[in-house]
Amino acid sequence: MFHITGAFLFIGGSVTAAVLNTLALRAALPSETALHLRLIRWTLPLIGIGMALTLVLGLWLVHTDHYSYGSFWVIAAVVLWVVSSALGGLGGRHQEKARKLAERLAAAGDASSDELRTLLRDPKGNAMSWVAGLAAVLILVDMIWKPGA
Amino acid sequence: MIAAIRPHAWDVPLFLHVLGAMVLVGAVLAVVVLALAAWRQPTLAVLARSSFWTLLVAAVPAYVVMRGAGQWIYSKEGFSGSNDPTWLGIGFLAGDLGLLLLLVTTGAAFWWMRSGKAIAGRLVAGLSCVYLALLTVAWLAMSGKWS
Repeated sequence: MFHITGAFLFIGGSVTAAVLNTLALRAALPSETALHLRLIRWTLPLIGIGMALTLVLGLWLVHTDHYSYGSFWVIAAVVLWVVSSALGGLGGRHQEKARKLAERLAAAGDASSDELRTLLRDPKGNAMSWVAGLAAVLILVDMIWKPGA
Repeated sequence: MIAAIRPHAWDVPLFLHVLGAMVLVGAVLAVVVLALAAWRQPTLAVLARSSFWTLLVAAVPAYVVMRGAGQWIYSKEGFSGSNDPTWLGIGFLAGDLGLLLLLVTTGAAFWWMRSGKAIAGRLVAGLSCVYLALLTVAWLAMSGKWS
Protein backbone atom coordinates (compact mmCIF):
# COMPACT_ATOMS: atom_id res chain seq x y z
CA MET A 1 0.00 0.00 0.00
CA PHE A 2 2.77 2.48 0.91
CA HIS A 3 4.80 1.50 -2.17
CA ILE A 4 1.81 2.43 -4.33
CA THR A 5 1.27 5.59 -2.26
CA GLY A 6 4.87 6.47 -3.15
CA ALA A 7 4.09 5.86 -6.83
CA PHE A 8 1.04 8.16 -6.61
CA LEU A 9 3.13 10.91 -4.99
CA PHE A 10 5.96 10.44 -7.53
CA ILE A 11 3.88 10.30 -10.72
CA GLY A 12 1.02 12.51 -9.45
CA GLY A 13 3.51 15.16 -8.31
CA SER A 14 5.33 14.93 -11.66
CA VAL A 15 2.01 15.45 -13.49
CA THR A 16 1.33 18.53 -11.32
CA ALA A 17 4.79 19.92 -12.16
CA ALA A 18 4.21 19.19 -15.87
CA VAL A 19 0.82 20.97 -15.79
CA LEU A 20 2.31 24.04 -14.09
CA ASN A 21 5.28 24.04 -16.49
CA THR A 22 2.93 23.88 -19.50
CA LEU A 23 0.85 26.75 -18.07
CA ALA A 24 4.08 28.75 -17.58
CA LEU A 25 5.04 28.18 -21.23
CA ARG A 26 1.62 29.41 -22.39
CA ALA A 27 1.48 32.46 -20.10
CA ALA A 28 1.33 35.87 -21.79
CA LEU A 29 3.30 37.91 -19.24
CA PRO A 30 6.64 37.22 -17.51
CA SER A 31 4.91 37.72 -14.10
CA GLU A 32 2.47 34.90 -14.98
CA THR A 33 5.31 32.65 -16.17
CA ALA A 34 7.22 33.32 -12.94
CA LEU A 35 4.12 32.63 -10.81
CA HIS A 36 3.49 29.21 -12.40
CA LEU A 37 7.15 28.20 -12.24
CA ARG A 38 7.30 29.28 -8.58
CA LEU A 39 4.33 27.05 -7.76
CA ILE A 40 6.23 23.98 -9.05
CA ARG A 41 8.33 24.17 -5.87
CA TRP A 42 5.25 23.12 -3.85
CA THR A 43 5.32 19.75 -5.60
CA LEU A 44 9.01 18.96 -5.04
CA PRO A 45 8.68 17.52 -1.48
CA LEU A 46 5.89 15.20 -2.68
CA ILE A 47 7.95 13.99 -5.65
CA GLY A 48 10.99 13.46 -3.41
CA ILE A 49 9.05 11.49 -0.78
CA GLY A 50 7.35 9.47 -3.53
CA MET A 51 10.64 8.60 -5.21
CA ALA A 52 12.21 7.52 -1.91
CA LEU A 53 9.18 5.38 -0.97
CA THR A 54 8.99 3.66 -4.37
CA LEU A 55 12.68 2.73 -4.37
CA VAL A 56 13.12 1.66 -0.74
CA LEU A 57 9.81 -0.21 -0.38
CA GLY A 58 10.09 -1.61 -3.91
CA LEU A 59 13.47 -3.19 -3.19
CA TRP A 60 12.13 -4.49 0.12
CA LEU A 61 9.13 -6.07 -1.66
CA VAL A 62 11.46 -7.76 -4.18
CA HIS A 63 13.10 -9.45 -1.20
CA THR A 64 9.92 -10.37 0.73
CA ASP A 65 8.11 -11.66 -2.40
CA HIS A 66 11.16 -13.79 -3.34
CA TYR A 67 11.91 -12.17 -6.70
CA SER A 68 15.51 -12.03 -7.90
CA TYR A 69 17.37 -8.71 -7.77
CA GLY A 70 18.94 -9.82 -11.08
CA SER A 71 15.58 -10.04 -12.89
CA PHE A 72 15.30 -7.84 -15.96
CA TRP A 73 12.23 -5.97 -14.67
CA VAL A 74 13.91 -5.12 -11.34
CA ILE A 75 17.09 -3.83 -13.03
CA ALA A 76 15.00 -1.91 -15.61
CA ALA A 77 12.95 -0.28 -12.83
CA VAL A 78 16.09 0.88 -11.00
CA VAL A 79 17.69 2.21 -14.22
CA LEU A 80 14.48 4.07 -15.16
CA TRP A 81 14.24 5.47 -11.63
CA VAL A 82 17.81 6.84 -11.90
CA VAL A 83 17.11 8.28 -15.39
CA SER A 84 13.89 9.93 -14.20
CA SER A 85 15.57 11.34 -11.11
CA ALA A 86 18.63 12.71 -12.96
CA LEU A 87 16.73 14.22 -15.89
CA GLY A 88 14.01 15.60 -13.61
CA GLY A 89 16.71 17.39 -11.60
CA LEU A 90 18.34 18.82 -14.74
CA GLY A 91 14.95 19.90 -16.13
CA GLY A 92 14.21 21.57 -12.81
CA ARG A 93 17.43 23.60 -13.04
CA HIS A 94 16.38 24.80 -16.49
CA GLN A 95 12.98 25.87 -15.09
CA GLU A 96 14.68 27.71 -12.21
CA LYS A 97 16.79 29.65 -14.72
CA ALA A 98 13.63 30.59 -16.66
CA ARG A 99 11.84 31.57 -13.43
CA LYS A 100 14.65 33.91 -12.33
CA LEU A 101 14.71 35.63 -15.72
CA ALA A 102 10.89 35.91 -15.74
CA GLU A 103 10.96 37.48 -12.26
CA ARG A 104 13.57 40.03 -13.36
CA LEU A 105 11.47 40.96 -16.41
CA ALA A 106 8.30 41.15 -14.29
CA ALA A 107 10.01 43.60 -11.92
CA ALA A 108 11.20 45.71 -14.86
CA GLY A 109 7.86 46.46 -16.50
CA ASP A 110 6.48 42.96 -17.15
CA ALA A 111 7.33 42.92 -20.86
CA SER A 112 8.48 39.63 -22.37
CA SER A 113 11.82 39.32 -24.14
CA ASP A 114 13.34 37.13 -26.84
CA GLU A 115 15.72 35.71 -24.23
CA LEU A 116 12.81 34.47 -22.06
CA ARG A 117 10.90 33.09 -25.06
CA THR A 118 14.04 31.25 -26.25
CA LEU A 119 14.68 29.87 -22.77
CA LEU A 120 11.08 28.70 -22.33
CA ARG A 121 11.02 26.99 -25.73
CA ASP A 122 14.53 25.50 -25.48
CA PRO A 123 14.04 21.95 -26.84
CA LYS A 124 16.92 20.50 -24.80
CA GLY A 125 15.71 21.96 -21.50
CA ASN A 126 12.11 20.87 -22.06
CA ALA A 127 13.10 17.45 -23.38
CA MET A 128 14.85 16.62 -20.09
CA SER A 129 11.62 17.15 -18.13
CA TRP A 130 9.46 15.24 -20.60
CA VAL A 131 11.89 12.29 -20.84
CA ALA A 132 11.99 12.19 -17.02
CA GLY A 133 8.17 11.92 -17.06
CA LEU A 134 8.27 9.27 -19.78
CA ALA A 135 10.74 7.24 -17.67
CA ALA A 136 8.29 7.42 -14.73
CA VAL A 137 5.46 6.08 -16.92
CA LEU A 138 7.77 3.31 -18.20
CA ILE A 139 8.41 2.30 -14.56
CA LEU A 140 4.63 1.84 -14.20
CA VAL A 141 4.58 -0.28 -17.40
CA ASP A 142 7.49 -2.32 -16.03
CA MET A 143 5.75 -2.86 -12.67
CA ILE A 144 2.57 -4.14 -14.31
CA TRP A 145 4.01 -6.37 -17.07
CA LYS A 146 7.15 -7.42 -15.14
CA PRO A 147 9.17 -8.55 -18.20
CA GLY A 148 11.51 -11.42 -17.34
CA ALA A 149 9.85 -12.19 -13.98
CA MET B 1 4.48 -4.79 -7.15
CA ILE B 2 1.16 -3.24 -8.16
CA ALA B 3 -0.49 -6.58 -8.73
CA ALA B 4 1.58 -9.68 -8.21
CA ILE B 5 -1.13 -12.34 -8.65
CA ARG B 6 -3.37 -11.83 -11.67
CA PRO B 7 -3.72 -13.03 -15.28
CA HIS B 8 -1.83 -11.06 -17.97
CA ALA B 9 -5.15 -10.34 -19.73
CA TRP B 10 -5.81 -7.73 -17.01
CA ASP B 11 -2.55 -5.85 -17.64
CA VAL B 12 -3.84 -3.29 -20.16
CA PRO B 13 -6.97 -2.23 -18.22
CA LEU B 14 -4.99 -2.19 -14.96
CA PHE B 15 -2.30 0.00 -16.53
CA LEU B 16 -4.88 2.43 -17.94
CA HIS B 17 -6.83 2.50 -14.66
CA VAL B 18 -3.73 3.24 -12.54
CA LEU B 19 -2.24 5.72 -15.03
CA GLY B 20 -5.58 7.53 -15.34
CA ALA B 21 -5.87 7.70 -11.54
CA MET B 22 -2.31 9.06 -11.18
CA VAL B 23 -2.84 11.73 -13.85
CA LEU B 24 -6.19 12.63 -12.21
CA VAL B 25 -4.49 13.01 -8.81
CA GLY B 26 -1.75 15.16 -10.39
CA ALA B 27 -4.25 17.39 -12.23
CA VAL B 28 -6.43 17.87 -9.13
CA LEU B 29 -3.30 18.61 -7.07
CA ALA B 30 -2.35 21.27 -9.63
CA VAL B 31 -5.79 22.88 -9.16
CA VAL B 32 -5.37 22.73 -5.36
CA VAL B 33 -2.00 24.51 -5.68
CA LEU B 34 -3.38 27.14 -8.09
CA ALA B 35 -6.51 27.80 -6.03
CA LEU B 36 -4.62 28.00 -2.73
CA ALA B 37 -2.10 30.38 -4.31
CA ALA B 38 -5.05 32.57 -5.28
CA TRP B 39 -6.39 32.65 -1.70
CA ARG B 40 -4.35 35.78 -0.89
CA GLN B 41 -4.41 37.15 -4.45
CA PRO B 42 -7.99 36.47 -5.57
CA THR B 43 -7.87 39.11 -8.30
CA LEU B 44 -5.19 37.27 -10.30
CA ALA B 45 -7.21 36.20 -13.34
CA VAL B 46 -4.46 33.91 -14.61
CA LEU B 47 -4.92 31.51 -11.68
CA ALA B 48 -8.65 31.16 -12.40
CA ARG B 49 -7.96 30.56 -16.08
CA SER B 50 -5.23 28.00 -15.31
CA SER B 51 -7.49 26.14 -12.84
CA PHE B 52 -10.39 25.89 -15.27
CA TRP B 53 -8.27 24.69 -18.22
CA THR B 54 -6.39 22.19 -16.03
CA LEU B 55 -9.69 20.66 -14.95
CA LEU B 56 -11.10 20.60 -18.47
CA VAL B 57 -8.03 19.45 -20.42
CA ALA B 58 -6.27 17.20 -17.87
CA ALA B 59 -8.58 16.13 -15.01
CA VAL B 60 -11.76 15.28 -16.97
CA PRO B 61 -10.01 13.13 -19.65
CA ALA B 62 -7.96 11.40 -16.91
CA TYR B 63 -11.21 10.66 -15.04
CA VAL B 64 -12.72 9.10 -18.17
CA VAL B 65 -9.66 6.83 -18.67
CA MET B 66 -9.54 5.87 -14.96
CA ARG B 67 -13.26 5.13 -14.67
CA GLY B 68 -13.58 3.39 -18.06
CA ALA B 69 -10.57 1.13 -17.46
CA GLY B 70 -11.84 0.45 -13.92
CA GLN B 71 -15.15 -0.79 -15.32
CA TRP B 72 -13.25 -2.88 -17.91
CA ILE B 73 -11.17 -4.66 -15.26
CA TYR B 74 -14.27 -5.05 -13.03
CA SER B 75 -16.00 -7.01 -15.81
CA LYS B 76 -12.88 -9.17 -16.31
CA GLU B 77 -12.58 -10.02 -12.60
CA GLY B 78 -16.12 -11.43 -12.57
CA PHE B 79 -17.59 -9.40 -9.71
CA SER B 80 -21.39 -9.45 -9.65
CA GLY B 81 -22.29 -6.44 -7.53
CA SER B 82 -23.41 -8.52 -4.55
CA ASN B 83 -20.90 -9.21 -1.77
CA ASP B 84 -18.22 -7.18 -3.52
CA PRO B 85 -15.26 -6.38 -1.24
CA THR B 86 -15.18 -3.11 0.74
CA TRP B 87 -12.23 -1.67 -1.20
CA LEU B 88 -14.23 -2.02 -4.41
CA GLY B 89 -17.19 -0.20 -2.87
CA ILE B 90 -14.88 2.63 -1.80
CA GLY B 91 -13.50 2.74 -5.34
CA PHE B 92 -16.99 3.03 -6.83
CA LEU B 93 -17.94 5.69 -4.27
CA ALA B 94 -14.83 7.72 -5.12
CA GLY B 95 -15.58 7.23 -8.82
CA ASP B 96 -19.25 8.19 -8.81
CA LEU B 97 -19.25 10.82 -6.06
CA GLY B 98 -15.95 12.00 -7.51
CA LEU B 99 -17.55 12.63 -10.91
CA LEU B 100 -20.11 14.89 -9.26
CA LEU B 101 -17.35 16.71 -7.34
CA LEU B 102 -15.23 17.04 -10.48
CA LEU B 103 -18.08 18.52 -12.51
CA VAL B 104 -19.13 20.92 -9.73
CA THR B 105 -15.47 22.00 -9.28
CA THR B 106 -15.11 22.56 -13.03
CA GLY B 107 -18.34 24.62 -13.02
CA ALA B 108 -17.07 26.66 -10.05
CA ALA B 109 -13.75 27.23 -11.83
CA PHE B 110 -15.64 28.46 -14.91
CA TRP B 111 -17.63 30.85 -12.68
CA TRP B 112 -14.35 32.02 -11.07
CA MET B 113 -12.76 32.59 -14.49
CA ARG B 114 -15.77 34.56 -15.80
CA SER B 115 -16.59 36.58 -12.67
CA GLY B 116 -13.19 36.96 -11.01
CA LYS B 117 -14.97 36.73 -7.63
CA ALA B 118 -12.83 35.67 -4.66
CA ILE B 119 -15.62 33.47 -3.27
CA ALA B 120 -15.57 31.39 -6.47
CA GLY B 121 -11.82 30.85 -6.13
CA ARG B 122 -12.24 29.77 -2.51
CA LEU B 123 -15.01 27.41 -3.53
CA VAL B 124 -12.66 25.83 -6.11
CA ALA B 125 -9.94 25.52 -3.43
CA GLY B 126 -12.34 23.82 -1.00
CA LEU B 127 -13.89 21.46 -3.53
CA SER B 128 -10.56 20.44 -5.04
CA CYS B 129 -9.13 19.72 -1.56
CA VAL B 130 -12.15 17.51 -0.75
CA TYR B 131 -11.80 15.70 -4.08
CA LEU B 132 -8.07 15.14 -3.54
CA ALA B 133 -8.82 13.70 -0.07
CA LEU B 134 -11.44 11.37 -1.59
CA LEU B 135 -8.96 10.20 -4.25
CA THR B 136 -6.35 9.57 -1.54
CA VAL B 137 -8.76 7.38 0.45
CA ALA B 138 -9.63 5.51 -2.77
CA TRP B 139 -6.03 4.75 -3.70
CA LEU B 140 -5.20 3.66 -0.13
CA ALA B 141 -8.29 1.42 0.00
CA MET B 142 -7.76 -0.12 -3.42
CA SER B 143 -4.00 -0.66 -3.12
CA GLY B 144 -4.32 -1.98 0.44
CA LYS B 145 -7.35 -4.11 -0.53
CA TRP B 146 -9.30 -2.97 2.56
CA SER B 147 -11.87 -5.58 3.40
